[in-house]
Amino acid sequence: MKQILLITDGCSNVGVSPVVAAAQAHAEGIAVNVVGVLDQGDLGEFGSAEIEEIARAGGGLSRLAHTRQLSQTVQMLTRKTVVQTIQHAVHRELKQVLGASSIEELPPEKRGEVVRVMDELSETSKLRVALLIDASASMKPKLAAVEEAIRDLALSLQARQGRSEIAVFHFPGSAHGDECLLDLDWTTDVRGVHQFLPRLQMRGTTPTGPAILRVVDHFRAPAPRSYRNPDETDGQMSDYVV
Amino acid sequence: MTTSFDWRLPRGTVIRGKWKRSSYRVERLLGEGANGKVYLVERQRAWYAMKIGADAVDLQSEINVLQAIANAKLVSRSEPYLVEVDDYSGTDGKEYPFYVMRYIRGATLSDFLSKRGMEWFPVAGYSLLVKLSELHAGRWTFGDLKAENVLVSDYGRVELVDYGGVTAFGKSVRQFTEIYDRGYWNAGSRSADAGYDLFSFGVLCIQVYDARRLAALAGSLLPQNRSPEELLKLAQSIPALRPLGDWLAKALRGTFSNVEEAAREWQQWQRRTSGRSSSVVPRWMKGLFVASAALLATTIYWLLRTGA
Ligand SMILES: Nc1ncnc2c1ncn2[C@@H]1O[C@H](COP(=O)(O)OP(=O)(O)OP(=O)(O)O)[C@@H](O)[C@H]1O
Repeated sequence: MKQILLITDGCSNVGVSPVVAAAQAHAEGIAVNVVGVLDQGDLGEFGSAEIEEIARAGGGLSRLAHTRQLSQTVQMLTRKTVVQTIQHAVHRELKQVLGASSIEELPPEKRGEVVRVMDELSETSKLRVALLIDASASMKPKLAAVEEAIRDLALSLQARQGRSEIAVFHFPGSAHGDECLLDLDWTTDVRGVHQFLPRLQMRGTTPTGPAILRVVDHFRAPAPRSYRNPDETDGQMSDYVV
Repeated sequence: MTTSFDWRLPRGTVIRGKWKRSSYRVERLLGEGANGKVYLVERQRAWYAMKIGADAVDLQSEINVLQAIANAKLVSRSEPYLVEVDDYSGTDGKEYPFYVMRYIRGATLSDFLSKRGMEWFPVAGYSLLVKLSELHAGRWTFGDLKAENVLVSDYGRVELVDYGGVTAFGKSVRQFTEIYDRGYWNAGSRSADAGYDLFSFGVLCIQVYDARRLAALAGSLLPQNRSPEELLKLAQSIPALRPLGDWLAKALRGTFSNVEEAAREWQQWQRRTSGRSSSVVPRWMKGLFVASAALLATTIYWLLRTGA
């Protein structure tokens, strides 16, 4: 399972639309979740409408969160999206195998069996989450909270039985016109990492769309041997569900 | 987080299950949380608690855990906890899954202790350890152990509610509350094991004695500075917890090998503390004595009067 988790506090203002970019990610089997992070006040109507639309296009979920609840929100979105991805796959199977179009239609005993399989898959399937952090000037005071949320997520993912990896990107990248930079490549453990994100003053642009596409690219890159076939559990679904 | 349906069933509503056709009459709302609402309901003159969820999958995974626990017959009790599972068609046309469980008449741990006095804490705590050991015997971790999820009835009898966090040993804890979470305090993983619950239990001890300072400590420390040692320092500054220091150190540092060991050492602490005050007449007994002396005096007075 593949997810992008975008953490931002404003609107994109350069390059391809982030909604289009998220749709592309979704088409490649990557769910896009978005957290709009607030310090005081709110994102403004335009900002919250945008994060909602990015998540909708990306087949993921969006939430607004205060810096204090950032860790919990990040965890909750990641977990819910894992369950949702599995649910979608299970729904396909349900139609074929049981002739039911939703879990709710099944009688309670059958439902119990299906949910048991879903829980098992949520716990054991491989998962990769790319965190994409908006590091534009307005985000600067929130970056400490963002880093804490990343650590906290890594801790939860580590406890899963399935292999779970995270990668961290931030945007805008350097002054050389990079839309997005990789801070931390796929890893299962972040304990040794001192600081994920640079504390430099960033340029004023927010190239959210191009940054999402860059991360999608990274998912495409050939993975080291051990990561081949990250979706293998999808293929085995019919063995589980009946 | 709030539940995604905001209606509330009025008193007297009759809920009829779609599959099994049993009827329940709603008395009142008992509580609500992330996974649903819990109502006090009545069926054939018996009281039950009914949890109605908005999300069939979430609620079902909780039901699966309850069923697995029931099948494992871990709990030596005549009445089952899980009574029935069914769906209810709401007035909004949607279907809501529900399950019916035994109604636990009791107050949350904090309410119980503030009403009945902290002298009940050792007993309630011991009873809670026994509850945990029953679960652990089936290789389940309770997960979301906190004061709100511990209901205490008369004489300090304890029941756990909210099985949404219950996780098989070795898997990732399904639901937790930050301040009780081992990972949050940099004291270990979020994998389910006996130590996970014991850590939360340790935090719970501090919570019931000084919730305010515990919250203040969590809020004031930088994430990387949160540690079991900070919790122990706080515990040391609470006089009533000082004798429990060794026990807490083991719970928070994760050095108990299982709940049974923790329960044994808890008993030793209970014995020590109850022994200490045995030289003086306990407060409640003094009260009793004054009351009976007064009763005796009145009785004699009436005897003399009627005899005269
Ligand atoms: N069997 C029961 N008997 C009496 N009261 C109960 C029972 N089960 C639950 N309650 C009450 O209902 C409240 C909410 O129930 P529960 O904690 O199961 O909901 P939840 O949605 O899982 O909540 P949370 O957000 O804590 O996970 C409890 O705190 C408790 O006060």
